[in-house]
Amino acid sequence: MHKIFAYLKKRIAIITALFVMFAMAFVLDSPQNIYEGYLEILQSPGVLISDYLYIAGLGATLFNVASIMLINIVMLEVLRLKMTGPIFAGLLTIAGFSFFGKNIFNTIPIYIGIYLYARMQNLEFKSFIIVVLFSTGISPIVSFLIFGTGWSYAASIPAGILVGMLTGFILPAFSAHTIRFHKGYNLYNIGFAMGVLSMLYTAILGMVFGFELEPFRSDETSEAFHNELLFLTLVLSAIFIAWGFIANTQVLKKYPKLLKSTGRLVSDFVRDHGMDIAMINVGVMGIISALFVVALNIDISGAVMGGILTVMGFGAFGKHPKNAVPVMLGAAFWYGILYMTNDGDVGVGIAIAVLFVTAVAPIAGRFGVFLGIFAGFIHVMLLPLTLQFQGGFDLYNNGFAAGFVAAILVPIFEALRKNNGEEAEGV
Amino acid sequence: MSTPEVKLITKIIRELSMFLMLHGYEQFSIETDKEKTLTTFRVKVKTLDEKTKNTMLEKLNRAREIEIETYGWQLVGDLDQKSELEIVGSLVDDAKIEEENGHHSIIITRKNPYLKKH
Repeated sequence: MHKIFAYLKKRIAIITALFVMFAMAFVLDSPQNIYEGYLEILQSPGVLISDYLYIAGLGATLFNVASIMLINIVMLEVLRLKMTGPIFAGLLTIAGFSFFGKNIFNTIPIYIGIYLYARMQNLEFKSFIIVVLFSTGISPIVSFLIFGTGWSYAASIPAGILVGMLTGFILPAFSAHTIRFHKGYNLYNIGFAMGVLSMLYTAILGMVFGFELEPFRSDETSEAFHNELLFLTLVLSAIFIAWGFIANTQVLKKYPKLLKSTGRLVSDFVRDHGMDIAMINVGVMGIISALFVVALNIDISGAVMGGILTVMGFGAFGKHPKNAVPVMLGAAFWYGILYMTNDGDVGVGIAIAVLFVTAVAPIAGRFGVFLGIFAGFIHVMLLPLTLQFQGGFDLYNNGFAAGFVAAILVPIFEALRKNNGEEAEGV
Repeated sequence: MSTPEVKLITKIIRELSMFLMLHGYEQFSIETDKEKTLTTFRVKVKTLDEKTKNTMLEKLNRAREIEIETYGWQLVGDLDQKSELEIVGSLVDDAKIEEENGHHSIIITRKNPYLKKH
């Protein structure tokens, strides 16, 4: 009993967040609706953008989010891993994308693939935990092969599971390689790696099997739960901020040092600055996300909520107000132009980009506000093209785009800087 | 010794070299002593100033992070700022600095994880 209380105390913020989501599911929806909606989620092809709020309603979606988080928290406990910045970011990213594309069914084969790779490398599975937590961004390939191809289950289930396992097997080595492409200035590096794999899968499915992904891609989302999700965002932000202050009443003294970090991979704020200030930063990033959403008149769909949770998660792993706000302003500028020229009809892809653009936050962290705004602006320009490239199996399309943005801009910005290596002392 | 381990060791040497040069230390030597389960890096450099010495000790004595072993290691050896050494700190087990005849010896040890059994 003592051990259980000690554990709950240690993980109080994340456990409370989990409890809030389970509770909201059952308060806002009936068990029957949750059950039926959850079955719909499990059978959805999951290709971008499969908004589970639109497909299954709020109760089933929150149940999906909370159950996937629970499984991953149990996995972390079994592996006896400490809560570091990357792990926290991975958990909240999983939660975010469980609003649009991830479910228990399509994530497991990818985990098995990574496990087999670890065995082959003679390394512990837990040493791949960062890849494990972010790997499921490509889980729609599993769902698509099983439920979207029209093949009989005798063929489609083994195909989906095998391709999922193969993807998991490839991803650790490949994502370690792609990090060099953008030199760590794309926080969604695994999203970039998965975008390349998704491009390959899209090409094979199109050229060999004649599948067109266009009919499966959708921008139909549900904004019916805007108020509930805005409330959830503020409650979660408050939980993390409160946790920081409860842990250390003088916690804000640590904030200036954290804000000096460029955020470039691998910036673990939990380890570098402490769990208390990292949680404050997570909450602050949640509030900033909510402010952008409200200021730009964006209605919160499953995809937008995914963006908010991801931004919050990376509040422990590279993002902070000083490096995130400039790139968000760059994206918001383009959003505003589209909003005015299209009578308010911007599209969910650009709306979520205002949040996911923070993948390139380290560019602002290193090169300053103005070049950060410019990077954010370039990022949203590139997004529609990268979705066409990768087809939609990579849920982290913004990570795919951010890889190119960083790879193009960072060498140029570096060349323009005269005082290379002499900049701010960083962490 | 496995190829990934050799690649990582050479990257750590590169990052240590860049760190020292960016801090104005252009004369130094790095020796490695590779055993089956442990690699020791011995960096000999003229007397380090107190700030650089403390920075190195702080960054290199971070706790080993097993997950960085497979993810961020490709960025090692590619410093962008004078202050960066964090990833190396996550990849080594221990670091100490000894003073001898007007020189500093930075001794860093790293256990090889590729020998672990499941």
